[in-house]
Amino acid sequence: MSTVLAIDTSTSRTSVAIVKNREVLFNQFHDDPIAHGEVLPKLVAKALEVESEIDLVVIGMGPGPFTGLRSGIAFGQSFALARGIKWLGICSLDAMAVKIKEIDFIVSTDARRKERFWARYINSKRDGQPKVSNANEILKLNIPIFNEGEYYPDPVQLVELSATNNSILTPIYIRKPDAYPVPKDIKIRAMTALDLITASGIEKQVYQKSAWSLNQFKEEFSKVPKSAQYLVAELAGEVIGYAGIVFNMDTADIHTLTVIDSQRRKGIGRELLKRMIDLARSKKVNAVLLEMRLGNDQARPLYEQMGFIEVLQRENYYAPGVTAVVMRKELM
Amino acid sequence: MSPLVLGIETSCDETAVGIVRGRTLLANVISSSVEEHVRFGGVVPEVASRAHLESMQQVIKQALLEAKVKLSDIDAFSVTAGPGLIGALLVGVSSASALALALNKPIYGVNHLNAHIAVDALSSDVKIQPSIGLLVSGGHSSILQINNLVTDVVVKGSTIDDAAGEAFDKVARIMGLGFPGGPLIDNQAKLGSKDAINFPRALTQGNDIEKNKYDFSFSGLKTAVSRYLAQTPNFNRADVAASFQEAIVDVLISKSLLACKDSGIEDLVIAGGVAANSRLRELAKQRCEVAKVRLRIPPAALCTDNGAMVAALGSLAISEGVKPSAIGISADSAAGVDQIVWA
Repeated sequence: MSTVLAIDTSTSRTSVAIVKNREVLFNQFHDDPIAHGEVLPKLVAKALEVESEIDLVVIGMGPGPFTGLRSGIAFGQSFALARGIKWLGICSLDAMAVKIKEIDFIVSTDARRKERFWARYINSKRDGQPKVSNANEILKLNIPIFNEGEYYPDPVQLVELSATNNSILTPIYIRKPDAYPVPKDIKIRAMTALDLITASGIEKQVYQKSAWSLNQFKEEFSKVPKSAQYLVAELAGEVIGYAGIVFNMDTADIHTLTVIDSQRRKGIGRELLKRMIDLARSKKVNAVLLEMRLGNDQARPLYEQMGFIEVLQRENYYAPGVTAVVMRKELM
Repeated sequence: MSPLVLGIETSCDETAVGIVRGRTLLANVISSSVEEHVRFGGVVPEVASRAHLESMQQVIKQALLEAKVKLSDIDAFSVTAGPGLIGALLVGVSSASALALALNKPIYGVNHLNAHIAVDALSSDVKIQPSIGLLVSGGHSSILQINNLVTDVVVKGSTIDDAAGEAFDKVARIMGLGFPGGPLIDNQAKLGSKDAINFPRALTQGNDIEKNKYDFSFSGLKTAVSRYLAQTPNFNRADVAASFQEAIVDVLISKSLLACKDSGIEDLVIAGGVAANSRLRELAKQRCEVAKVRLRIPPAALCTDNGAMVAALGSLAISEGVKPSAIGISADSAAGVDQIVWA
C-alpha cells in the first residue's frame, strides 16, 4: 500500500504524477524549457489537491539540462525531507524508453549546444551509461532513434521502475561543469623548437585542410620571444595542446589555441587561454583579440566567460563560405 | 509567540539556512563552495549550483538541530529569489517551495539585497526605518533610502561600473593576493599605511558631485592601482592594500553621510559582504560620531551571505503584514532593491 509522488524535469517538459497502488490518480505536465522552477510547485500543488498523503517520492535524475534538472531534484528531496519519507532516483531516459516496442533502439533528449543526451536499449535493457554526443554521431549508428518531442520521460513509468531498479543518488550530469580545475598532471611550459613537429602533427589532426604547415609554424615561432609567445600543455610528458599570442603596439592577437580531441573539456584550453591573457597583460597592451570560426560552439562559451566580446565577422576568412568571428577582450 | 521562520540562501556560492523566531536568531548554518572556486579567481556558476544541491539537505538538517526545532514547527519559509546566479537561486527556491507545499505553510520569496539590511534587525532593537542604507557587496554598491524595509526602499545612487567587492577582488588578483579579495586585502592593509599612496576618489569633486552625487565609480581606482604596481617595481604590498582600501572606504562613507545630511535622516545602516571590512567599520564609527548619525552595522559574521538574513527579512515581512508569495516563485537573477517580497 503506497502512494507515490513522481517528478521529472530532465527535458523541456515538467511532469508530475501521483500513483496509488498502481492506480494513476494524477498525471500532468507543462512544456517550457526554462520554467521548471515555477511550473513544478504549481503542478505538485494541484496533485496534492487530489491526494495529499504521500509515502514515497520518485525523482527523474536525468540526464538533462542542469538547471531544470536540479530544480526537480532539489524539490523532490526537500519534499521528502519535510514529510519524513523516502525518495528514490531513477534514470529519466529509462522512463522514456519503457513504452517503445523495439528490440534495439536509442532514446535521445535535447542537451543544448547542438548535442543530445542518449542511451541505447537492447532487449528492454539499457546498454551502458547514458551519454552526451553530437546529434550526427548518434545518427551514424543507424539505429532507430526516439527523440524528445514525440516521447518524454513518463512519471508513471518512473514509479514502475522504482519498484525494481536501484535508486540513483546523484544527478546524471554526464557533462563536467564548464570550468573546473586543470588536472594536476597537466604542465604548461614555453614551446621550444623541438615541439614544432609534434605541434604541427596535432594541428593537422585538428584542423585538417586549414591546418598550418610545418613551415608556417616555423615562421610563426620565429617571432618568439620578441613579438610572440607560444606555450604547450603537456600530459605525462606528451604535448596535447598549444597556444600562441602575437604582440602588436596596443593589442595582442591570439593566433592559435588548440587541444587534441581526446583531451577537450578538461579545462586545458581555459588554462592556456588564461596564460595567453596573462602574457598580454604583462606586455601592457589594451586588448586581446582572437578569431574563431562562426559556429564553433564548443569554444565560444569559453571565450565569452573569459570576457571576450564579438566585435566583427569576416566572411570567407578561413575558406570560401567559412566566416571568422573576431572577439576582443579589453584589458585594464 | 513570534513566528518561527526558516530562511534559505543560495544566490552565490554559500548554501545557507537560518532560523529565527521573530527577531531572535536561533540557527545560522553555512556551507560554502568558495574553496572550489579559488583556482578560477571567481565563482563558477555551475560548480556553485552543483554544490548547493549536494549540501542543501544536510544544511537544512543541521540548522534544525542547532535551533532545536523540527521542520513541522516552522511557521513560514523564506527564500532568496534574486538577485544572484539563476542556476544557484533555483536550488534554494525549489527546495523552499517543496518544504512549504509539503507542510502547507506560507513561503516568502525575498530580495537578497534587502535581506542583507534586514539582518540588522537581529542585532538591534531599533525600529529599522527610516534610514539611509549603504549596501556594499561583491555585486552591488548602492546608497538607499529605506522608508520601510519590506515595502518602500528607494535607490539614491549606485556604482556606475564595478561594485566595491568586485574592486577588492580585482585588485587582490592584480596584486597576486588571491580570491576572495576582501578579507585578503583587509588583512594585508593592517600591516601598511593608508596614507602611503594617494589613490583617486572618483565622483567626489566638481561637476561629478553635482551629476553623480550618491553614485560610485571604482573602475578608475582599479586602473590607478594597476598603473602604480606597473610603475613601482619595489612596491610595498601592505601600503598598496591599505591605501587602496582607504580610498574605497572613504568614498563609501562620505557619500552615505552626505545622503544622511541631505535627507535629514539620522540613521545609517551599512550592510553586505564588504561591511565585514574592518577599516570600513572603524572609519564609519568615527565619522558617524562626528556627524551625529546613529550607525548600525550587523556583526561581521552576519554581513557575508547567510540564511539568517533571509529568515530575518521573511520575519519582518510577516510582522508588517505583507502577503506571502504565490506558489511557483519565479527566481529573478537581476531583481532590484525595490522588488522586496515576491508577489
